[in-house]
Amino acid sequence: MPDAGRILLGHGSGGRLYRDLVRDVFLAHFANPVLARLDDAAALAASGRIAFTTDAHVVQPLAFAGGDIGRLAVAGTVNDLATAAARPLGMAAAFVIEEGFEIARLHEVCASMAATAAEAPVEIVTGDTKVVQRGAADGLFITTTGVGEIVAEHEVSAASAAAGDVLLLSGTLGDHALAVLAARGDFNLTLDVRSDCAPLWRLVEAALAAGGADVRFMRDPTRGGLATVLAELAEGAALGIEVDEAALPVAPAVRSACELLGYDPLSLANEGKMVFAVAPKAAEAVLEALRGRPEGARAAIIGTLVADHPGRVALRTSYGTRRVVDMPVGELLPRIC
Amino acid sequence: MEVCGTHTMAISRYGLRDLLPAGMRLVSGPGCPVCVTAVGDIDRVVALARLPEVTIVTFGDLVRVPSSHSSLAAERATGADVRVVYAPTDALELAAAEPARQFVLAGIGFETTAPTVAGALLMARERGLRNLSVLSLHKTMPGALRALLDAGESRIDGFILPGHVSVVTGSDCYRFLPAEYGVGGVVAGFTAADVLEALLLLSRQEEPAIEIGYRRAVTAAGNRVAQELLARVFAPCDAVWRGLGPIPGSGLRLADEFRDYAAEERFAIEPGEPVEPAGCRCGEVLRGLIDPPQCALFGRRCTPETPVGACMVSNEGSCAAHFRYRAIAESGGADA
Amino acid sequence: MCLAIPMRITATDGAAATIEAEGLVQTTSLMLVPDARVGDYVLVHAGFAIAVLESDDAAERLALFDEIAGMAGGGESGSGSDSDPDAGRPYDPSI
Repeated sequence: MPDAGRILLGHGSGGRLYRDLVRDVFLAHFANPVLARLDDAAALAASGRIAFTTDAHVVQPLAFAGGDIGRLAVAGTVNDLATAAARPLGMAAAFVIEEGFEIARLHEVCASMAATAAEAPVEIVTGDTKVVQRGAADGLFITTTGVGEIVAEHEVSAASAAAGDVLLLSGTLGDHALAVLAARGDFNLTLDVRSDCAPLWRLVEAALAAGGADVRFMRDPTRGGLATVLAELAEGAALGIEVDEAALPVAPAVRSACELLGYDPLSLANEGKMVFAVAPKAAEAVLEALRGRPEGARAAIIGTLVADHPGRVALRTSYGTRRVVDMPVGELLPRIC
Repeated sequence: MEVCGTHTMAISRYGLRDLLPAGMRLVSGPGCPVCVTAVGDIDRVVALARLPEVTIVTFGDLVRVPSSHSSLAAERATGADVRVVYAPTDALELAAAEPARQFVLAGIGFETTAPTVAGALLMARERGLRNLSVLSLHKTMPGALRALLDAGESRIDGFILPGHVSVVTGSDCYRFLPAEYGVGGVVAGFTAADVLEALLLLSRQEEPAIEIGYRRAVTAAGNRVAQELLARVFAPCDAVWRGLGPIPGSGLRLADEFRDYAAEERFAIEPGEPVEPAGCRCGEVLRGLIDPPQCALFGRRCTPETPVGACMVSNEGSCAAHFRYRAIAESGGADA
Repeated sequence: MCLAIPMRITATDGAAATIEAEGLVQTTSLMLVPDARVGDYVLVHAGFAIAVLESDDAAERLALFDEIAGMAGGGESGSGSDSDPDAGRPYDPSI
């Protein structure tokens, strides 16, 4: 059969082809008792408050140094739950696949999702698959929805932050954005950089264990970069932020590429980093806890929340001067002249 | 006055205005090539983008610049084919990959960029690529400096001269500044220390003179090979600068030998009368007559997210640079 | 005027060259600097090397930068002095 090995419209129809696909691909990679029942809804047990989040993933290209759409999808949802101090309980994955997509590639994506889920740890307990005709999707779109159990008793949000709180960043900026850029091949660049895409529940768990209620705010700087997270924090807390430029960790390849292409590392997307606002007395302990995890090895204190200029983020340059950091505007464009 | 968009950005990025002594003021001039492109010229690019067989190839800076009624970004959203490149040579690969389409490179930039477009055209000719053309909107600096000083509107005591334009042109081309106008200049690099060094050198000049601060890259004579390439592929022409108006001999058009690559001859377009956005004072900003906050639109109708004029769109535009700096001063944040 | 960064030529192939900055490899045209050789540092803009950089006064310039940074009376000198060279260095655009 010439079509063997490729997704056909029939795979999304709910009939035999669909059942075979679920068994051969999804069940094979995501093996767990809940999913195996193949009920229309997964039953989970939870106590206390629930966090709930969803994300669509449309990255192009589907694979890049350090990850692929599958890893991105699982990590992204785990991390959103983590920002609410929620341990992941279960995840749903909905696939929209373009007719003609190679089944071997679907296996790769699911293997990646399974590996990332094991790291998190979380199980993919339910899902859905639709197939659309050739041209109606960019190969593969994945939407993941996650449910988590909130372990913190205090409110983790911008509103909880106070003047004097210390800002911590778990590692280097811009790795994901540039790994995707390099994979696109638009700029004829070879970059020594891998996407940082990773699930961060364990990192957040360590931070909460070290800081408890002193961990006041957490957010992951994805699209829009660190600049957007800081702008949101400043606005939500009605406080100002001072960032120390020299303290921001940036990998050498990212620094070079930013100089060459005119990007600001603060505007670049990350998929395995977390920003924390922590009460001063707990800052060192949380920092040490972050650095004790591989995903947080390059964690650093990057600034503070201040009463001045509420709602504004100021960057202190290595020359001691200051400038405002705004949310990036529009799409990422290379600056040339 | 600095006359280089990358200097404008560096000054803002490093917060150098905070470091200046009393009595020294930095004024931004017409250094951002996107900002000084006349609205009518942007209209021509947009008109070309609307041709169904045409793909516009451009540097990223141009995509969001407002034309009289649109922009390349807006055209792209309604179906125009607009591709962003980092290097003009990328246009060659695009054209080679799709021989049925016409690729028009929007040639924006000063003497740093024009030689790279010239190089790409030579390669196109060698490869026999016929579906590529260039709309040359390139401009050259010395004429603009003259026009600024001739207008005599604002007092300029010295220039921070462009770093990379001068790599190509050499510093000798600025000797008319002290000789004819009694104004000195220092060619500066782009780190904060480079810009501060230039200010230091300028303030120490007993007689106005041209000096090179950026000695590791700039010489008096410049890059002869690049200059010869420019002379072969381009010829001087008159050009209209936003804010400065027409400046004779300050533009570059394709030389006769390369006219067959000129987009304006290959395609017939009717861009219509250019319309300057109402209330926009980009022109006065570009001449250093007003600081951006003095424009009534600044920070209100005109912001980096909703730009009205080019000076706010481009990251190197004076208005965009001021917008980020001004916010801190306004909210009264004390110095760190 | 435009973005251009110094990169080292690691290989040449006629008019094309392979150039490297820290962590980044690219190809560029040497059409505008035909005398450039492997090992030279060139300034690269929009796909072309536009100048070969003179490194003679590099040490003197670095000293000058440090002096100016000190006079500016603000933060640390701009040379990005992280003790662990393999760590993500702080983002400092000074050359």
